[in-house]
Amino acid sequence: MPFTFVEIEKRKSRAILFAFFFLILIYFLTAYLLLFAVENWFLRKEAVKVLIPSLEHALYALTGAVVVAIVHWLNSTDNLILKMTGAINAVSLDPWDLYHQYFQNIVDEVAIATGGKKIKPMVIPSSGMNAFALDDFEGHSIIGVTEGLLARLNRSQIEAVVAHEAAHIASGDCFTTTVLSSLSEIYGVSIEKLKEALIRGNRGSNRGIGLAVLIYMILVFTNFLSKMMRFFISREFETRADAIAVKLVRNPLSLAEALKLISRKWHSQSGASDSLQSIFIINPQPNQLDEKESLLADLFSTHPPIKKRVGMLLALAHLDEKSLEESLKNFIRVSPIAKPVFSMEDSFRPENRWLFMQDGVWKGPFSFDELVKMNGLIPTQWFKIEGKEEVGMAYDYPQLKELFEKDQQDFKGNCPNCKVGLDEFNYEGVPVLNCSYCGGYFVDHYKINRILVRQDNEPSEEIKHLAKIVADEKDKIMRRNYKNPQFILYCPVCKKCKMSRQFFVYSYPVEIDRCTACSGVWFDKTELEVLQYIHDNKETLLYRDSAF
Amino acid sequence: MVFILVLLFIVIAAAIWFFATYNSFIGLKLRVENAWSQIDVQLKRRHDLIPNLVETVKGYMSYEKDTLERVIKARSQAIDASNIKDKAQAENFLTQTLRSLFSVVEKYPDLKANQNVLQLQGELTSTENKISFARQYFNDEVQNYNTMIQTVPSIFVAGIANFQKKDFFEIEDASQKEPPQVKL
Repeated sequence: MPFTFVEIEKRKSRAILFAFFFLILIYFLTAYLLLFAVENWFLRKEAVKVLIPSLEHALYALTGAVVVAIVHWLNSTDNLILKMTGAINAVSLDPWDLYHQYFQNIVDEVAIATGGKKIKPMVIPSSGMNAFALDDFEGHSIIGVTEGLLARLNRSQIEAVVAHEAAHIASGDCFTTTVLSSLSEIYGVSIEKLKEALIRGNRGSNRGIGLAVLIYMILVFTNFLSKMMRFFISREFETRADAIAVKLVRNPLSLAEALKLISRKWHSQSGASDSLQSIFIINPQPNQLDEKESLLADLFSTHPPIKKRVGMLLALAHLDEKSLEESLKNFIRVSPIAKPVFSMEDSFRPENRWLFMQDGVWKGPFSFDELVKMNGLIPTQWFKIEGKEEVGMAYDYPQLKELFEKDQQDFKGNCPNCKVGLDEFNYEGVPVLNCSYCGGYFVDHYKINRILVRQDNEPSEEIKHLAKIVADEKDKIMRRNYKNPQFILYCPVCKKCKMSRQFFVYSYPVEIDRCTACSGVWFDKTELEVLQYIHDNKETLLYRDSAF
Repeated sequence: MVFILVLLFIVIAAAIWFFATYNSFIGLKLRVENAWSQIDVQLKRRHDLIPNLVETVKGYMSYEKDTLERVIKARSQAIDASNIKDKAQAENFLTQTLRSLFSVVEKYPDLKANQNVLQLQGELTSTENKISFARQYFNDEVQNYNTMIQTVPSIFVAGIANFQKKDFFEIEDASQKEPPQVKL
C-alpha cells in the first residue's frame, strides 16, 4: 500500500476540518442573504436605497451559522454508518445463503491484500449492478454490492470490484465521501418533505405560503451549495482507487470487464438519492456531466468517464478495446455454487443388509427400511454389512448416516399439501424449505427477490411452455380470482393461518399461495421456475402485443 | 570558532538524519513482521482445516491411503518448518498434495455429494486465496524493506545498525505464478 496509517489519519482530519468550515461558510452565506432579503424587502421603510446589513448583524449571522453547523454536523455524523446503510437500503448478509457466503469469502480475501483491515460486507437487495464503500470515525468499514452484481459477474470480476472499494477505504478517501454524503443527504430529505408540505398546505393563508416559499427557496439554495461539496470529492478518487485495486488483485482486465458490464446494462439507481452518488463505484444516476472532460466537469462531477477508466485499465493490461469486447463476448459465468452431484449408479445399487451389535451379540440382518423403523439405535453403535468382515461405527457408513440425521433435524413446518416435514434446501443458493414428495417450496418474502435475480438454473422446455400458457391466460385467471378469492392451504410456518391464492404480482402473473400473516410464499412444483422464467423474459412473453 | 560551529551543525544534522533513517527502518521492519503474521494466521487456518478434511474423507477412500498419508505428512512438515525459506517450500508441497487429494475426491461420487466435503473444500480454496493475497502483501513489504537496505544513503545506516535483508515468501511451482483465480 502506498499509504501508511499515519498518513491516512492526517488526511482524514484534514478532510473533516475542510468539511466543517465549508459547512459554516454555507450557513453564514445563507443567513447573510436572508438578512439582506429581509432588510431590503420586508422591513424597508425608506426609499430605493439598498441596505447592506451592518457588521453587528453579520456577526449575529456568523454565530447563528456556527451553531447550526455544529447541530447539523452532530446530527449527521452520529451513527454515520447506520444512517447511510439505511439510506441506500443495504442489509447484512444472510449467513445461510450460499451466494452471501461466497461474497463474504471474497471480501475477506481482499481485506487481507490490503494488509488485514477489518471490512464488513453488506448487500443491497436490488437487481441493479453497483457497489459501494463506507467508512466512519471509529474505522468501521463496509463494502457492499447489489444482488444483481453478485448474480451477474464472475468471481474475479467481483474480486476486482471489491478491491476497488477496499482501495477507497485503505486510501482514506472513502471516509471523506462518507462524511460529505451524510452531510448533504439531510437537504435531500428535507426538500422532499417541504415539497409535500407545500402541496398539502396549498389552501392556507397567503402569508403562510409566503413563508413556506421563502424557506423552500433557502433550502434550494443550500442544496445547491451542498452540491458544491462535491468540489471536495475529486474525480481522481475513482481513478486512484482503480489503480490501487489493480495493485491489490493484479488483474486489470477483470476490473475493466466489470466496469464495462456495470455501465452497459444495469446502470440502475438502487434507491440512492442524488447526494449519495459519490459512495458508489459507478454513478447510480446516469449523468451527462460524468462523461465529459472539462473544468466544470472536473469540479462538479464525482466520477470520471467510464471510457477513460476502462482505457486506463486496458493500458495496464497491455490490451485494447477490441480484445475487451472479445473477452466480454466469450464471457461465461461459472456458478459459484458447487452443486452436489448424485450418480445414478449409486441409487440403483443392490441394497445392503446390516447387522448391528446390541448387548454384546450381533442382531440382524436388517434392510435399511427395517432399520428406519427401529427405535433406540445410536450413531456410535457397531455395524457391519452382511457377508463382510469389516466392522465400523454407524456414522462410518455414509448410507446409515441418514438414519440419524433425520431425527436431529429441527422441525421446520409441514408441507401444506403432503402434511409431512419440510426439509431445508438451497434454491440457487438461497435457503428455502422444500417438500421432497410434492416438490413445492416455501420461501420467506424477503428472499424471493434474491431468487429472481439469480440465474443459475436453466429452464426446461416444459417450464418455457408453461410460462407461455400462464402469460396468455392471465386475464382469465385474474377475472376468476377477483370473483371468488380462494384460501385453500395453511401456511407451513404460521401453522394456523390460511394462505390466499393470488398472482405473485400482476406483472408476473404466476399464481402462488401467500400467507396472510407472514407473507411467506408457497410455490407448488414448477411455479417458482415459471416465475423465474417470466421474470427473465418478460419482454418477449408479456409485452408481445403492446409492441404493435 | 566559525569552523567549530559549522562542524557542530554538520554533526547534529548527520545525527538527526541517522535517527530518522533508523526509525523508518524500524517502521518498515514492523510492517514486514505484521505482514508475516497475516500469512501465518492463514497458514495455521489451513493446518487446522486439513485434519477435518482427512477425517471426513477417510471413511470413503479405502484405496487411496497413500494420498491421505502424503497430505498428513506434508502438513506436519509445514508445521515443523522454522525459517521462511523452509516454510515456503513445505507449504508449496502441502498445496500440491492437497491438489492431488481434490483430484482424487472428484473420482468418488459419494464424496462429491457430501455437504461436509464440499464445505471444507470451499473453505480450503478460500484459505488458499487468502494465503496468496497475504503472500503478495508480505512480498511487497519485504521489497520496500530490502530496497531501503540496499540503496544509498540508507545503506550506511543499515550497515551500522546491522539490518539484514529478508527473504521473500516464494513460490517455485510455475503454474502458481499466475494471479489467484481459484474458483469456488
